[in-house]
Amino acid sequence: MLNLTDEEKRILQGEEGRLKQVCMQYVAEMAEIAGAERLVDLDGTGDTHTPALALSQHYQITIDELREYADNGGRFKIPTFANKSPFPECAPMHGWEECHACVRGDPDTMFSDPAHHKKAQHEEELAIMKRMGLITTHSCANYLVMSYLPSIGQHCSWFESSQMPYCNATLGARTNFDGTFATCILGKAPYYDMHITENRFGTILVETDRLIRTDMEWDVYGFAIGEAVAVHVPVVTGTSRPTTTQYEKFNSAIATGGAVRMYHLPGMTPEAPTIEHATGGKPFQKQVMIDNKVLRDTYDLLNFRTTDVIDMVYLGCPHLNIVDLMQIAFKVEGKKCKVPVWLATAPWLHAAAKEQGYLAIFEKAGITLTTGTCPAAMGSLPAGVSCIAMDSAKQAMYITGCYPNDDNRIQVAYGTQDDCIDAALTGRWRGEWR
Amino acid sequence: MADKIRIKGRSVYPGCVEAEALVSQMPLQGFTNVDVANGYTVERRHPLFKVPYAGKVLVFPSPRGSGGFMMYGFGDKAPAAFVYNHATPLTVLLALQAHTPSMTDFERDPMEVIETGDMVLVNATEGYIEITKKSM
Repeated sequence: MLNLTDEEKRILQGEEGRLKQVCMQYVAEMAEIAGAERLVDLDGTGDTHTPALALSQHYQITIDELREYADNGGRFKIPTFANKSPFPECAPMHGWEECHACVRGDPDTMFSDPAHHKKAQHEEELAIMKRMGLITTHSCANYLVMSYLPSIGQHCSWFESSQMPYCNATLGARTNFDGTFATCILGKAPYYDMHITENRFGTILVETDRLIRTDMEWDVYGFAIGEAVAVHVPVVTGTSRPTTTQYEKFNSAIATGGAVRMYHLPGMTPEAPTIEHATGGKPFQKQVMIDNKVLRDTYDLLNFRTTDVIDMVYLGCPHLNIVDLMQIAFKVEGKKCKVPVWLATAPWLHAAAKEQGYLAIFEKAGITLTTGTCPAAMGSLPAGVSCIAMDSAKQAMYITGCYPNDDNRIQVAYGTQDDCIDAALTGRWRGEWR
Repeated sequence: MADKIRIKGRSVYPGCVEAEALVSQMPLQGFTNVDVANGYTVERRHPLFKVPYAGKVLVFPSPRGSGGFMMYGFGDKAPAAFVYNHATPLTVLLALQAHTPSMTDFERDPMEVIETGDMVLVNATEGYIEITKKSM
């Protein structure tokens, strides 16, 4: 039974205008469905896809209502960061001129078409939202450029599978999968699941017989753990201290193989100084061994190919941080790629890559630096690509869904960043499980 | 009828519908791995790859992956009802979109009882499902 405060009831009755009323209708219905007893006042940050004025199939805000709200001084209640490039197109924000891939459901239009690019920016809605305080980070990994991260225990409202464990486990802040225009306008979200301390304790002990220390090992381990624990909170052992890149990989993989919103790395993540802290002192309900054979099988599952001939390379799932960009630049400097290579990062890091000289290196190597999106979000690859190399379990699982038919099935070569760069330079796949 | 098996559970979204079950032993993944226009999953190597779910009671252990899981509730080929063991914010997003009868938290694991092709009455208004085995 949902109990709303007097303030929340007033908003629901429309006393603060129709826009906030619709937002409250949506959030209250979400809370009812979730079985939440109340809403929580958010003291952290918000993350939302844009413009996404259709909150659901049943709740819609018009652009006129949005403009009127902004004209009257209306703002987002909490610091609100844009996820990915605007919906529904999810078009690249930089590098789009080189993205000769068909727009989803429209084979006659390319992402490289200037008219489509302009339309896909949704400038009118975004200009209004910026006046309301929207911070235009436009990335699945927008936490890389937020410059304002939530602190331990702060209640947030984010919306991206890889961000759920980033916010909850890596940062120790608290979010459910509900960051929308509505929660960010109201600064309120249903109080359930990861907002509640007892749901955050680890219940499954995960062990491995291999020391997890490379980026690919973190990615494969994450996917395998997600498959093994499904929706539960694992306490993960057997690893080195993760780098930022490895946190990105692990969080995206564990939330692709499963629906893991929270995990603990004892001695590393903020809510787990020890295993006892991680479990709240309770015994584990289950122990899982992800041994070398399971990891090998997971690697084989992520590979989906019958050929070593590579037509394209994609790196940037989740979006590349500045150190990733530096490392790739060092590896390709003075070389020339044989096949199209797309990198993806947050739009604000495009300027950084340019400033650092990486963009010039990429251009000389024949590499396109895109921002804001990825092939899976775009829903397509350039015509003629039949086997793409990548270093991301998440992207490897989602890109094949874009091409499910026998006549144009996409194959995936999955491996390390080095394997992918080698494939970019040679057109051949030489990666293997080692 | 003595042949019906009734299991109590928690209503996620109210309503009452009876339809044939489509059971996925594996978790389901949405976003690019659900084809809304055709009404089936397109996750590679999934047991239900391209098996239509339109109008069925879709039974699965748990969701996984992207927020695009909610797309199982999109379009005119959506399932008639959803039955699952583990609710998460992904299933909340699904119910919020689908507005079709949905139930979870059962007193007994429905995956052990329901097989594809069984008739399942999902009474999410009164909080139970009732299974008629296809073999009976």
